[in-house]
Amino acid sequence: MKASSRAACAVLLAAALLCGCSQTPQATARHRVAIVAKSTQTEFWLSVFAGAKAAGAEYNVDLTIVGPDAEEDYETQNQMVKQAVEDGAEVLVFSAIDYENNAPAIDQAARDGVKIVAIDSGVDSDAVSTYIGTDNYAAGQIAAKTALDQMEGELFVGFVNYDVNSANGQERERGAANQFTASLRAQICATINTLADAGTAKADTIALLTDHPEINVLVAFNEPTSVGAADAVQELGLSDSVFLVGFDSNVATVDGLQQGSVDALVVQNPYAMGYLSVESAYKLLTGQGASLAPVVDTSTLVVDRDNLFTLDSQKALFAFEERSN
Amino acid sequence: MKQRLTLRRPRITSILVAMVVGIVALILCFCILVFLARYRSAMVQNALTSTEQAVSQVSNTVGSYLQDMKQSMQLVEDALRQDEAGRDELLQAFLTFRPDVVAVTGYSANGELWDCWALERSPRQTILQNLSFNLDRARKSSTAYLTAPHVETIFEGYYPWVVTMTTPLKVGGRYSWVSLDLSFSSISSYLNNVGIGQRGYCFLMDTEGNIIYHPQQQLLYAGLKTEDTTTLAALEGTSYVDDTAIYCVAAVGDTGWQVVGVSYVDELVNRNVSEMLRLSFWLGLGILASALLISYSLSRLIGRPMRGLAAAMESFEQDADHFTYHPVDGTKEVRELSDSFGHMVVRIQQLMTTVRQEEVNLRKTELKALQAQINPHFLYNTLDSIAWMCEQGRNADAVNMVHALARLFRISISRGHELIPIEKEIEHAESYLKIQKYRYKNQFTYTFDVDPDCLCYYCNKITLQPIIENAINHGLDFLVEEGRIEVKVRFDGEDIVFSVQDNGVGMTPEQIEAVLRPGAQDRTGIGIKNVNDRLKIYFGKNYGLSITSEPDEGTCVEIRMPKIREGNYESK
Repeated sequence: MKASSRAACAVLLAAALLCGCSQTPQATARHRVAIVAKSTQTEFWLSVFAGAKAAGAEYNVDLTIVGPDAEEDYETQNQMVKQAVEDGAEVLVFSAIDYENNAPAIDQAARDGVKIVAIDSGVDSDAVSTYIGTDNYAAGQIAAKTALDQMEGELFVGFVNYDVNSANGQERERGAANQFTASLRAQICATINTLADAGTAKADTIALLTDHPEINVLVAFNEPTSVGAADAVQELGLSDSVFLVGFDSNVATVDGLQQGSVDALVVQNPYAMGYLSVESAYKLLTGQGASLAPVVDTSTLVVDRDNLFTLDSQKALFAFEERSN
Repeated sequence: MKQRLTLRRPRITSILVAMVVGIVALILCFCILVFLARYRSAMVQNALTSTEQAVSQVSNTVGSYLQDMKQSMQLVEDALRQDEAGRDELLQAFLTFRPDVVAVTGYSANGELWDCWALERSPRQTILQNLSFNLDRARKSSTAYLTAPHVETIFEGYYPWVVTMTTPLKVGGRYSWVSLDLSFSSISSYLNNVGIGQRGYCFLMDTEGNIIYHPQQQLLYAGLKTEDTTTLAALEGTSYVDDTAIYCVAAVGDTGWQVVGVSYVDELVNRNVSEMLRLSFWLGLGILASALLISYSLSRLIGRPMRGLAAAMESFEQDADHFTYHPVDGTKEVRELSDSFGHMVVRIQQLMTTVRQEEVNLRKTELKALQAQINPHFLYNTLDSIAWMCEQGRNADAVNMVHALARLFRISISRGHELIPIEKEIEHAESYLKIQKYRYKNQFTYTFDVDPDCLCYYCNKITLQPIIENAINHGLDFLVEEGRIEVKVRFDGEDIVFSVQDNGVGMTPEQIEAVLRPGAQDRTGIGIKNVNDRLKIYFGKNYGLSITSEPDEGTCVEIRMPKIREGNYESK
């Protein structure tokens, strides 16, 4: 029967078409994104994680967050990268402790098909799809500029930096150094590379200030070193004579700002970093990777005693989230 | 015929299937569209309702939080009326009882911080900026007022977000104003956990559209997200639906705070709608398929017996005689139709047989009647001739004549048989010629040239006599010289051909036509036409009479008939 076979053909065709149509909107499984941070303790990172979680909830992403106990432990970080890849992460949001020594692990992860989003601190790998974080060089410049604006006369600068292999710290230091040098009235007396741990940083800063009593400007390049430096200045009673520019917000440095041990804070936007990193990861996974810029600069804000309690500063410095303090 | 039907005209099966499926598809499309439109609006309404519910719930919670704050303030005011010892004791108990109260602070008439009660904390020595108290605002306000959430700034190393309520106290007391700092974390974490759908949320703003608290505060601050609060502030407690989101606004009591609920159309509505779309698509497909199947089998149920009937009618049309009808099976209607057709076929076949039989009978009767009629003129003339012969004493001739006449009659009667042996027919023709020859006083001669093998075959009786009569009357009558008639009988293939040749004046084509025309009669009563008709009736169109004639040369009439033996055609 001709008519019947034609009808059967039509039905089959329609069915096939429908199958084709209905296949596409099928809900896909949740994407897996792993964040390997430098630390899981500091307020800076907690804020990053808060932003990441907000984006994870919004984009329905399965998020795992890990980080080493010490901010110098790049080996543990490499181990965590490997583990994340084994656990089936599709995108790795990574903040490198060591610009060079973390690179092989990241390259290996990329070879295993994992996409890489770098945040806060870069890594020496071509596999990085996008970098999200502060323009560290500019942040360093801002730190130096703040000191230059508020101090008159000759400046004797001491840098309290952390791991010498950490890209962001070095970038900030370079920016600050160039800014100071360009002013022609500042000289950099000494640079110490301490551990990203308030206690060690404090001890090392005390040593620095003792060795170089002429120092009247201190720049500390991340949260723990800022806390350590503030404690050192406080302990040495140099609050009035030493102008301390710190990075990031911490209860201790905010206290220091009010008490005078800290004079300015360059506050990054960790929440935005976390949020944008997961958003970028989601875009990479849903084929919108082409729309991502290679570098995304999250804003920075300089907080000093004058603008400490403006609404913007409050929101930047004090997260709403409950913190273990 | 059948092939042509299939190609040119669609079958009832196709029409029915196409019609049913088409109509069903149309109705389905319409239904699905209407349904989806209704469903979508219902879903939007639903989403709106759930958003409104969430917002009103949040509004209630925030309202009760603020109400609770007022009551706490009442307690604090009561405590401050006590003397110093009772005051401290009461407030300490209050603070223990209410851990969410961060601090209670009392201020002098010029805004100095007199006293601060806080659990296990004391304010720092030099306070950079006290966000819990604003002298200008306090002076402007005659009643209690509420601040937006802010950071508690009077403690060292402790910066919780709080909402402050400041109340002026009775003039003359130790304190002019008292402020109560209530932790905002319970509200912020509550708001953070309010979910409308997967991504929906609630936030707080004041009547001017300044955001008081937003779960995604940091995103707003980082410029990654914006809320069109001016538009929302203008809504004043109503709802607003745009392409992507649903906004609901509800005021929190008379505090000037507003709760805004935001939910996403996409996740609350569109996902469900597309799910429903897919479902209804499959459902529609299922219905279409079953419609196809049902209509197809239905049309087969009707169409197949119809085609059977049509085929039967067709073959009946082509050969009605030899058609035998086999009933077509099917539904009751089809069977009735089939039965009717069967009855009709039988009836038509009966009628056809009857008609044919009647026609033949009629013709035969007619012929017999004609044959029975011997032209009275001929009889009279013949008898007159015989009488005349007797008078003249030509007895032998008279006897011959009488014999011939007698034979003529005997064959004419021939017991009613139509077919007689050719031998008899020849005898008949010869008797007739003999009589005529006497009558015409030997004005013509005649010869017979008969193939003896032909004699045993049969032919219609009185076939030759009308031809011979015609030859004598029309051919020889006007002839001056001696006439000649030649009768031949021979085989021609499977047929037998009689021919009567004369040498008379011949016939014009008009005469030939006239002779063969219906109604033409001669004296014997059986015309040439009649002979021709009879032959055609008995043997078919291929047999009969043909006349060829040359003026003044003569006429030749040929009679063709099949070889038949006795009995072959008698039944007809």
